[in-house]
Amino acid sequence: MRSIPKLIRRFLAILLLSVILLFLLNIIVLFSISMRQTPGASAWTTAAETGAALTKTADGNDYILAEDTASELIREEVWGILIDNDTHQVVWHTDNLPPEIPRHYSLADIASLTRGYVMNYPAFTGQHTDGLIVLGYPQDRYWKHMYPNWDYYFIANLPKIILNVLIVNAALIFMIYLIASTNLMRSVRPIAEGIQALPTKEPVYVREKGVLSELAAAINQTSEILKSQNYQLRKRESARANWIAGVSHDIRTPLSMVLGYAAQLTDNPQLDEDARQKTRVIIRQSERIRNLINDLNLASKLEYDMQPIRRTRENAVAIARQIVVDFMNMDIDGKYPIEWKTKPQLTACYVNADKDLLKRAVSNLIQNCINHNPDGCTIYISVQENPENSQSAAKEQQSEQPGVTTCTIQRPDCTGTSPCCIIRVEDDGAGISEEELQRLNNTPHYMMCDSSTLEQRHGLGLLLVRQIAASHDGRISLHPSIYGGFGADILLPV
Amino acid sequence: MTLEYLKNKRILLVDDEPGLRGMVASILKEEGFSHIHTAGSVQEALSAASTFDPELAILDVMLPDGDGFSLMEQLKRNEDYPVLFLTARGEDEDKFRGFGLGADDYMVKPFLPKELVFRVTAILRRTYKDENPLVSLKHCRIDFERAEVLKSRRIEHGKQNETDESDSPDRQKSLEECISLTAKEHAILLALYRNAGRIVTIDALCEAAWGDNPYGYENSLMAHIRRIREKIEENPSKPVSLITIKGLGYKLIVT
Repeated sequence: MRSIPKLIRRFLAILLLSVILLFLLNIIVLFSISMRQTPGASAWTTAAETGAALTKTADGNDYILAEDTASELIREEVWGILIDNDTHQVVWHTDNLPPEIPRHYSLADIASLTRGYVMNYPAFTGQHTDGLIVLGYPQDRYWKHMYPNWDYYFIANLPKIILNVLIVNAALIFMIYLIASTNLMRSVRPIAEGIQALPTKEPVYVREKGVLSELAAAINQTSEILKSQNYQLRKRESARANWIAGVSHDIRTPLSMVLGYAAQLTDNPQLDEDARQKTRVIIRQSERIRNLINDLNLASKLEYDMQPIRRTRENAVAIARQIVVDFMNMDIDGKYPIEWKTKPQLTACYVNADKDLLKRAVSNLIQNCINHNPDGCTIYISVQENPENSQSAAKEQQSEQPGVTTCTIQRPDCTGTSPCCIIRVEDDGAGISEEELQRLNNTPHYMMCDSSTLEQRHGLGLLLVRQIAASHDGRISLHPSIYGGFGADILLPV
Repeated sequence: MTLEYLKNKRILLVDDEPGLRGMVASILKEEGFSHIHTAGSVQEALSAASTFDPELAILDVMLPDGDGFSLMEQLKRNEDYPVLFLTARGEDEDKFRGFGLGADDYMVKPFLPKELVFRVTAILRRTYKDENPLVSLKHCRIDFERAEVLKSRRIEHGKQNETDESDSPDRQKSLEECISLTAKEHAILLALYRNAGRIVTIDALCEAAWGDNPYGYENSLMAHIRRIREKIEENPSKPVSLITIKGLGYKLIVT
């Protein structure tokens, strides 16, 4: 809402500026027009010139007017007379003198004609050595007004008076504009507020009243549309997540029977070793399906923000230890021994995490090792604190982005050297090539991909780990392991 | 076997899927549990409970005529016995609800038979521990009720004594040394015994002995484990009953 007063201030400034500019412009134009009009055009000047141009003839009885002045008078249809100083008689006149013009003038007549007219002809006077030159212009040529007189006090204070008038005018303009814009603002404000509230996804209602009611109605409509779209989207997302939850629920019971009976057969001494080996495959694959169902369910919930994340202060070492022990307790045939590589002095590494989700992420990484090494492998797990290991972390970053120098800006998302907790799961199994690693890092996953290309990534395990890390402001890093296989790190801010 | 008395416990199994009922029953029977009664609905379960008088109930949450949570409340109204939920509903809310209502454990399908047997045994052991307080280890027996270790003094005595032992059980008893356990040792051993045969993490053991947020007790735990070994092992530096899993935890082997 700060933008509206700003807008008004700006308009006001433009208005004042334009008034001042207009005023100056008018003065300049007026000045130039009057400048152009004054020279030669003034009747008073013509009268004075005529007086100068009228000379006595050689014999001293008559007067003669210079040729150019005479022709100008004729062109202008002006008549002229010369009134003698002593006799008050007309001693010279132009040829076009109208007959009704008197030939004798009293002093009162002269005073009157100086101020005004001779028989309705506007008269202008000029000096001559022998008397008074009077020029009579055509009746429709000039309007004469010779009465005004000016108070000396008024003239002396004119600049101040002009300034005062200007100030009062400006104040008046300002007030008028202020009232007008306040009214406008009153009707614009709810609309502006409505528009500003639209992106917050809150429902918006603007009262449809006043000059801008159409705009208000449009905003209300937009809000309605947004609301219903949001609702539809939400509905579709939750329908999808619920659908996934339902399907996975329905698969669980039949899968229990597959898994249960297969596990019973594994221990059946009546079966030969070959058959029992096959039941072990059934168990493993059933377990894979089980993990897939669990992952799918959680991944869809995380993707659609339907999974509540309850973060508390947790010891990452204890969590990792619990998961490792769970796997060791469950490992049926000892094909996947796990080695605990955490330094004994690191007994606690606190992170702000949802315990169940973090457990899930770690066990997914272990499960990932198991899934990709069907012939068995040793799994190495360690928890580290980052400052101690910042050099290797920096090296990792460089290997991720070749040619880019790593900058060590403190960032809370575990990308710089800010303190963070690393849970590392590695194996000595089949490993991963550089290209595969690149693809794993860059190809979009099918759950996030909106076009159906063959370039999508499959497998939910790592996606889920990535999602969980992201929901804890952390990240994951995939790399070849020093033990020869594949390695994955979960980095969480401490 | 020490656990033999648990195998006679009456187990009520409620699931609407007959195939699954049959499988769970066969898993438990194979493991030696002999008294198993199955039901497919809330009604069947209630009538079975009144005649069969179960000592453990394994319930599904979704039943054709009701849900397992309310069934548990109805069952427990008459008599209190442990309940294990075995369900396809894996949501956290369901889990919390189950535990909140007083379930003893909550298992999500699908499951491995081993897992089910372990959990059933663990619940029974926990609930009916008073009925057989003596737990046999390789070199001793533990009486959790009295917090005592009963250890035979075979090593200190000659051949003569050994023949005497086999001759008269009364005299054997008198030759047994009775070592009492401290409270912490008892708590640690109990936590290990409840998960007998499985690794228990250092953190879980510390929590059992020192309560919530038990960090920084790792060294004390090691000291306690050493003292427990002196009491239960024949040769404490070469333990056979209380095994160290380096960096992770400990495991108690029950014979």
